[in-house]
Amino acid sequence: MIEEVIIFGTVQGALLALLALGFSLVYGVGGVLNLAHGAFYLITAYIIFWTIPLFGFTVSAIVGLIAVMGIAAFTSLALIKPLQDTHIGVVLVTFALAFFFEQFVKYFGDPLYHYIAPWVPGFITLLGINLQAQLLALVIGSIALVIVVTLFINKTKIGKSIRAVSQDAEAASLVGINTDLVLMTSLVLSALLVGFAVIFYAPGNYIAPHIGWRYLLLAFSVTIFGGMGSIPGSIVGAFIMGYATTFTDYFPMLGPEYSQLIPIVVILVMLLIRPQGLLGKEEVQ
Amino acid sequence: MTLLLEVKNLTKKFGGLTAVNDVNFEIERGEILGLIGPNGAGKTTLFHLISGFEKANSGTVRFDGIDITGLKPYQIVNLGMARTFQLVRSFRFLNLLDNVAVAILSARGKAAFGEIGIDEAASTILSEVGLVDKARVPPVILPHGDLRRLEIGKALGTNPEMLLLDEPFSGLVHEEKEKITQLINRLRTEGVTIFVTGHVLRELMTLVPRVIAMHHGRLIAEGPPKEVANNRIVLEAYLGRGEEFA
Amino acid sequence: MMRLQLDLRSFFERFKIWAVSFRGSITLIALAGLSLFPPITRSVYWTQILISAMIFAIFAASWDLLAGYAGQVSFGHSVFFGAAGYVTAALVRYLGVNWILSLIAGAFAAVLFSLLIGIPCLRLKGPYLALGTLAFSLILLSLFYMGPPWSDILGGSEGISGLPVPPNIFVAFYLVLGFMIISLFGMHAIVESRLGTLLKAIRDDETCADASGINTTVYKLIAFMLSGFFAGIAGSLFVLQQTAVNPAYFQPLYSFYAIIMASIGGIATIFGSIAGSFIFWILSEFLRPLAAAALLIFATLLILIVRFAEEGVMNPVMERIQEYWDKFRGM
Repeated sequence: MIEEVIIFGTVQGALLALLALGFSLVYGVGGVLNLAHGAFYLITAYIIFWTIPLFGFTVSAIVGLIAVMGIAAFTSLALIKPLQDTHIGVVLVTFALAFFFEQFVKYFGDPLYHYIAPWVPGFITLLGINLQAQLLALVIGSIALVIVVTLFINKTKIGKSIRAVSQDAEAASLVGINTDLVLMTSLVLSALLVGFAVIFYAPGNYIAPHIGWRYLLLAFSVTIFGGMGSIPGSIVGAFIMGYATTFTDYFPMLGPEYSQLIPIVVILVMLLIRPQGLLGKEEVQ
Repeated sequence: MTLLLEVKNLTKKFGGLTAVNDVNFEIERGEILGLIGPNGAGKTTLFHLISGFEKANSGTVRFDGIDITGLKPYQIVNLGMARTFQLVRSFRFLNLLDNVAVAILSARGKAAFGEIGIDEAASTILSEVGLVDKARVPPVILPHGDLRRLEIGKALGTNPEMLLLDEPFSGLVHEEKEKITQLINRLRTEGVTIFVTGHVLRELMTLVPRVIAMHHGRLIAEGPPKEVANNRIVLEAYLGRGEEFA
Repeated sequence: MMRLQLDLRSFFERFKIWAVSFRGSITLIALAGLSLFPPITRSVYWTQILISAMIFAIFAASWDLLAGYAGQVSFGHSVFFGAAGYVTAALVRYLGVNWILSLIAGAFAAVLFSLLIGIPCLRLKGPYLALGTLAFSLILLSLFYMGPPWSDILGGSEGISGLPVPPNIFVAFYLVLGFMIISLFGMHAIVESRLGTLLKAIRDDETCADASGINTTVYKLIAFMLSGFFAGIAGSLFVLQQTAVNPAYFQPLYSFYAIIMASIGGIATIFGSIAGSFIFWILSEFLRPLAAAALLIFATLLILIVRFAEEGVMNPVMERIQEYWDKFRGM
């Protein structure tokens, strides 16, 4: 059992890191809880699924990435920014957007489950466990992307602006940082990470119109666990959560039915005992 | 005179920064005490600690003989200590009458004004702070000076024995400052104890007989305003920051 | 006795003044039109739809009470709906309790759940609260869907069905109409009262309410309980109408319906929920040929309303009608 938990927990953690990193970043920058985050996953997966017969996987993946980044930019400029003063407005509008994409794929597709074939074919054996090679690609890709994003945040000018805004938005705008642009950049960046999560994880898995909510909950549970707005927190949180859910999957007497509940229980427990998360900073009035 | 507020060894740290560092002072019943210090000296944090909006790392605050350290803000208000905010706060979708009514609906407010009726009491307080003709408008359309007086009005709705006024003059023109000064003086004659901050001493010079000065979280001087104004350490604290002082 | 008479008289006086005022007249005309609908059309089909619309008007208004007035945005409102529904269904089906008692029990069960959610979620604000409440509803949804041993107690995915069918649909219509009128006027009275002032104060600035000596914790809990109570009434009524309950009652979709309806009608209006719910149900009916597109259209509508018409439709439309009304009366 321990081998399964190590292998599949790492896989799950790699997926969660991609989902949670951007989500946390956006919250840190604008105090925006993007309830359409899971819907970004959903729409990217369907765009790729729909366009594969036309272009093949590689081109479809690029189309999907560009589309979701465009959607994120539009969301930021047209929906979030004008409503940022009213916090209920942002929550409602991003929720409505998530609901919209769910209905959109249901209407233009169908409510059924669909399968996307893995683009890394075959299986490999690690620690005596058979693993889809696709999932290994996920782990490698996720680690690479996390490193790239960390470098981007720490080294580039816009990345430094993102950090400045998430530390103190008011001070950042006083020194001339365009906070709207920073919010848009981080939303687009989060969409890009979600897009890569789709590219690595959706092939070999099933997609359906309602899956967006599950990915939103996963991202939220990891971020709440690791600390809203904390980048290291969301990465550490992702892997801890990954191992925890996998452990429950394989634990006798429990099983997958219960591991579905884990993210939700984590959300509640963390919200109640340590709302700032494992590595989050305490909010100062 | 008897002691009303007693602050002992109060300390508050934010990460590596000690915002309030081992502060000790006392206020007697019916007194008016000023608190000065340059921006960032820790005045607002000290206010937050006394009024329960922040939790101190160590030290105690006693009000009217009761240890109020660690009590919730509303509990402290209901014991008779109300405060205003440096950045004015109000209920933006309620009219001024209801803004004050909220305070009157507090346990202490109800006990004091319940007999008169909430609307009546709220209008009386609004006329006391000079806003009764605007009772039916929401605060968002008011000029800054009116908002400052609304803040005091809301505090009065809780029938306070002591008022903490956080920078009541900041951002006001001369006439508005005059109005606030008159209001504070009137409250004093009614027996309200007042603790008031300002970051320029000139504002407090004629208002208070005694001030304490704060810098880097510590109390650095205490005495009549004239003395404190000439205190070398206080001057350096201000000059070091290049801020306007007297 | 004397006092009661006086109060009654002043009540009738106030009612008279209200009835001839614009809002009063419109309300009375709309209610009269609604209550004449079944005898005139004799359509069982449309009567059913209007019953659902009235039930969801109560549900949406209960969300509005909590979110629009007390500022506590809940995404888990379906918990109250489902909890009340299950209690009512179990009492009616297994214990043979009379429907009105079951309904009241259901509403109180919802109040219990409002405390269960409200107390732990009290320290959460804004989006955190929204997601915390959403998480609660998802836990209940999963629990109720689970197989044995859970399903032995909770009924599993089948839920509870086979409740007695209301003997006369038209009688049911007027009963639900009565429930809607009492609930909506009740909620309206609450938000207009001094309790309402405190809830709005907490919504506008919680720190400032605290500084005004208000124990915000207690009042937020009161808001949760009141909202849960009315949402529970709606849930119980809906179960009695559908004659069955299943885990789907806990699904987020029902919470979202309440949000959509309240937003269409206008947040922080209470009565707007009636407009929102009727628009939703009647439009759904007309969009039925388009099947899946109906919800897509509602999603689009919700985005547009939240983004461009924060006020919802009711108040702006009423103001327009009032202009004509004043002209008409001036003639």
